[in-house]
Amino acid sequence: MVISLLAMLPVLVLFGLLGDSPEFFAARNLGLLANTLSLVFLTVSGSLLLGVPLALLTAYVRLPWSRLWLVLLAAPLAMPSYIGAFTFYAAFGPGGEIENLFGLTTPSARGLPGAALVMTLYTYPFVLLTTRAALLSQDASLINAARTLGLSLPLSLWRVALPRAATGMAAGSLLAALYAFSDFGTPAIMGLDTFTRAIYVEYNAFGLEQAAMLSLQLLVIVGLVLYLESRISATPERPGRALAIWPDTWQKALCLAAMALAVLLATVLPLAIFSIWLLRDGSGGFEFSLAWNSTLASLLAACVAVALALPVAFAAVGGRLGRLLERVTYLGFGVPGIVMGTALVYIGLQAPFLYQTLGLLVFAYVLRFLPLAVGSIRSAVERLDTSLINAARVLGAGPGEVLRRVSLPLTLRGMVAGAALVFLEAMRELPATLLLAPTGFETLATYLWRVYEAGYFGRAAVPGLMLILMSGLGLALMLSGERRSALALIEDRRE
Amino acid sequence: MGSLPLAPGIGFAQSSKAVPVDELPPLEGELTLYLGRGEGGLYENVLAAVEERNPDFTLNIRRGPTAALANAIVAEAEAGVRRADVFWAVDSGAIGMINAAGLARDLPDDLTHQLQPGFRYPQWAPVTGRIRTLPFNTERLSADSIPAAVMSLPGSGLEIGWAPAYASFQSFVTAMRLLEGDRATADWLRGINETATSYAGELGVVMGVERGEVQLGFANHYYTLRLKSGMPDARVAMAFTNNDAGCLVNASGVLALAGGDLPIDFIRYLLTREVQTYLANEAFEIPLVAGVSTPQGLPDLDRIAPPEIDLTLLADLRPTLDLMREVGVL
Amino acid sequence: MLEVSKLCVDYGTTRVIDDVSFELARDEILTLVGPTACGKTTILHAIAGLVPIAAGEIRLGRWQASASAAIPPEQRNTGMVFQDFALFPHLTVLENVGFRLKNNAQADRWLQLLGLDDLRHARPATLSGGQKQRVALARTLAHEPALVLLDEPLSNLDAALKDSLRREIREALKAAGTPAVWVTHDQEEALSVGDRLGVLHQGRLEQLADPESCFSRPASRFVASFLGEANFIPGRADGAAVATDLGAVTAAAAVNGEVDVLLRPGDLSLTLAADAGNGVIESAQYEGETWLYRVGLDAGIAVQVRTSHENRLEAGSRVIVEVNSGQPLATFERGR
Repeated sequence: MVISLLAMLPVLVLFGLLGDSPEFFAARNLGLLANTLSLVFLTVSGSLLLGVPLALLTAYVRLPWSRLWLVLLAAPLAMPSYIGAFTFYAAFGPGGEIENLFGLTTPSARGLPGAALVMTLYTYPFVLLTTRAALLSQDASLINAARTLGLSLPLSLWRVALPRAATGMAAGSLLAALYAFSDFGTPAIMGLDTFTRAIYVEYNAFGLEQAAMLSLQLLVIVGLVLYLESRISATPERPGRALAIWPDTWQKALCLAAMALAVLLATVLPLAIFSIWLLRDGSGGFEFSLAWNSTLASLLAACVAVALALPVAFAAVGGRLGRLLERVTYLGFGVPGIVMGTALVYIGLQAPFLYQTLGLLVFAYVLRFLPLAVGSIRSAVERLDTSLINAARVLGAGPGEVLRRVSLPLTLRGMVAGAALVFLEAMRELPATLLLAPTGFETLATYLWRVYEAGYFGRAAVPGLMLILMSGLGLALMLSGERRSALALIEDRRE
Repeated sequence: MGSLPLAPGIGFAQSSKAVPVDELPPLEGELTLYLGRGEGGLYENVLAAVEERNPDFTLNIRRGPTAALANAIVAEAEAGVRRADVFWAVDSGAIGMINAAGLARDLPDDLTHQLQPGFRYPQWAPVTGRIRTLPFNTERLSADSIPAAVMSLPGSGLEIGWAPAYASFQSFVTAMRLLEGDRATADWLRGINETATSYAGELGVVMGVERGEVQLGFANHYYTLRLKSGMPDARVAMAFTNNDAGCLVNASGVLALAGGDLPIDFIRYLLTREVQTYLANEAFEIPLVAGVSTPQGLPDLDRIAPPEIDLTLLADLRPTLDLMREVGVL
Repeated sequence: MLEVSKLCVDYGTTRVIDDVSFELARDEILTLVGPTACGKTTILHAIAGLVPIAAGEIRLGRWQASASAAIPPEQRNTGMVFQDFALFPHLTVLENVGFRLKNNAQADRWLQLLGLDDLRHARPATLSGGQKQRVALARTLAHEPALVLLDEPLSNLDAALKDSLRREIREALKAAGTPAVWVTHDQEEALSVGDRLGVLHQGRLEQLADPESCFSRPASRFVASFLGEANFIPGRADGAAVATDLGAVTAAAAVNGEVDVLLRPGDLSLTLAADAGNGVIESAQYEGETWLYRVGLDAGIAVQVRTSHENRLEAGSRVIVEVNSGQPLATFERGR
């Protein structure tokens, strides 16, 4: 309860910032609304189209280097999407880098299609991670039953596996939608006029009041999406041993090619473009301590967020009020970062001795990204078999012991997924970092922003690579925790 | 990247009013600077050199979007907290906002008088300037087919690229409003809007011009110079209008929030001949103290004839945004 | 019908099925039995096409699968009954049974035959274990597979239900006239449901024969022990005649030299001896119809003896243990 209200704070601050805002609604906002909704719709569709097949591949298909692939496929979450948008803009189209290098004319990536494409590439890991977790918790025998009844594998997955993973897909889509609602860089670079762009124009013109007003209007739509997502539910079932699919050689090649394409577009392309520029205009120095700063703050945020998310997630499963409070934590994630950053400044200033310390920065990350942890943990808690809790109680364990020895270990997969999401988002977080970090505390994201803003793109190559590398390391660390918990659940995998 | 000759003993033969760094008092103590937008390490190099020259001086820097830092300064002041001693902003709008909130200190006359006439303000000091230009594609357009007045561009039949959401462009429109009136500005915006291609930022405009997507654009001068420094055979050159908003010179500015001599002395360093020369050569910014020459590739300011305008008035963006919206370009 | 030859399956670098071959006639039921992790479920999955095979061939009707030519499960026309029933939770009983059927004639037939008519619109979550397994069986048979695979179909059910359902499933399979492979780890089930029985050990087929032969003439000590309690009594063989501590017995096959004779607890009898006798009762276990005694022989080995429930003896009593089987007995060479 307290934690949910805490997450609500920045939104409440927005109300405080309204002042006597003169303009409540303008007709031209309808146009923005149409653009915003189209972008969100296409982004969610794209994320599902890309994320769900990749989730199936990484969850079920036995492929070499599967952990590494998973890490690479999730890494785009750590990459700021404006970096991707900018490189797409620079790479494609007449006169773009691809034409310069290979003499190949490509269609230019602009407008709604361009923005949706880029947004998809930097949000599909949300869908990938949540759907994968849902798929892994399903017992294989239902799919096997469908196949032996004569249904082909793709159809079995479509009719038997995916409907049961609906909540996972919905949770990921929600996050993708909220990101698309709140992101500014991508639509701006692609020349698409969205709500966030209007908010930024106001903000940069020193109209903080109007920016807050527009943000709150945006939140009404976000609330609607939150409501819609909460309507999607699945029947609970007992988890079991997950399906394993052994592909033959050419299928394996096809799967790997599909994964490679996603990695290529979302991470290799921007890094390659920056490297070209690096070669063209020479290198500046780069301090590796930035990578450490990023990783430290993000890891701390991931841990604290998970700890705070646990009670919210358990409450959300517990009852209606808990469910409502859980929904409320999501609102902040739909607010454009810079407005949120300023709201967090106001909150931070309530404790001047903490203002601009690492502790407050971590707190700000937690406030912004709590829903990521809550969502993942909630879906794990929902799948928890209540008979296990009853069994522990009958054995004489008190509620605390049940939580510590039964519920928590069994929701570990959800906690790991939540921590991973918070970690990756915190790695790319910019506005709150700029305003609330200790003075002089620079992260990979702030450095990337600095060189990008100034147009020294070549210098984005090394920190960009470091961002992917450190995110990968952090993810691998967390996934190894997940593997341990997964092994404990599967004792007799030989049979 | 060039190194900054701030070390003692290295100086240029001088015949100007710009103060050489050797004549400044040493800085002692600790100072927190809010730096609006970083300029990719060039401002950093200046700041690092100032620190290196003054061993007893510690400079803490917070970088961020100019508007966000300005909002933070106001929020801090409301909460009775002051973290920033000095604010260095890339655009004069943010300076105007802090000034309007009454948070900036008065600067001594001897400091403001180092600046060229027209750039002397009581509560802030312009550091470097940028000029509005018309970048054009050299393969698709020749310099003499570009009108000399920005107001004659609508209806000229040229393919034009612009970035109406970009802060510098909005300052330019504000200047046009002040110089030509709201009505003429509205007509101008409508006229350009009929055929213009929109970009997210002015770097995008210059790249679009270079690619030939449009013939001509509106952009600050340094984007073109930077693009050409990386790509010497780029198909882009700059044209200037004459004594109107089209060749407005806007400035980055610095102001002091804290009392004492240290913030003022620190600002003096930014106006030295060495720093101004460095920013001109490396960041392609226009020096605003007398006697330091403009960056290579840019004509001297007195040959361009920019309009005379009080830069603090450019902070009044509200009517400009309303106008742009009314016309439908935002 | 079904022909499995030289089948091998690997998990990673571990070989879990090694050179397994068998054939199945029309409407024959083959039981595969073995301890946990012997590979019996893996064989089912290989036949169904759910795991790839490393070597060998599987042939059923018109298709033939090998390591290089995999056939996807849906093209194999095999039906499978799962341990956990694997009913689709979001579909009703009728929708489950008629999952892939164009018309519901077969679904109706099997729902009726298996006594599920009243439950056709129920959701799986509301059914009892026995009902669920009947629905699963109905679903499999209604799709008219060429072969039915049953993966420990009774292991999740309680004992009282097992007996009747075992008979019901066997009858249903015979009524459908479909060959079946039935995997179990329960020896009683293995001996009673199958027309033939295959005993698996560490991925290899140790014996494949009718249940009675497997029980009375096991191919190995492992098979002998797995299918029931076994006493191995040392003896010296000369052709069919074997001399043991319990007297002379007849061997099923002619051998020479040191052997162990397999004697089931029921092959031995106990008589109370006043002071002579050849052993002493160490413990007794009541089984209802019978008593199972553990007797320490004076020769230094212990044997298990099963007698009728009327034959009540106290632990510590001296007894005479005798062989009362007229059948020729299985023998194993010593040290093998």
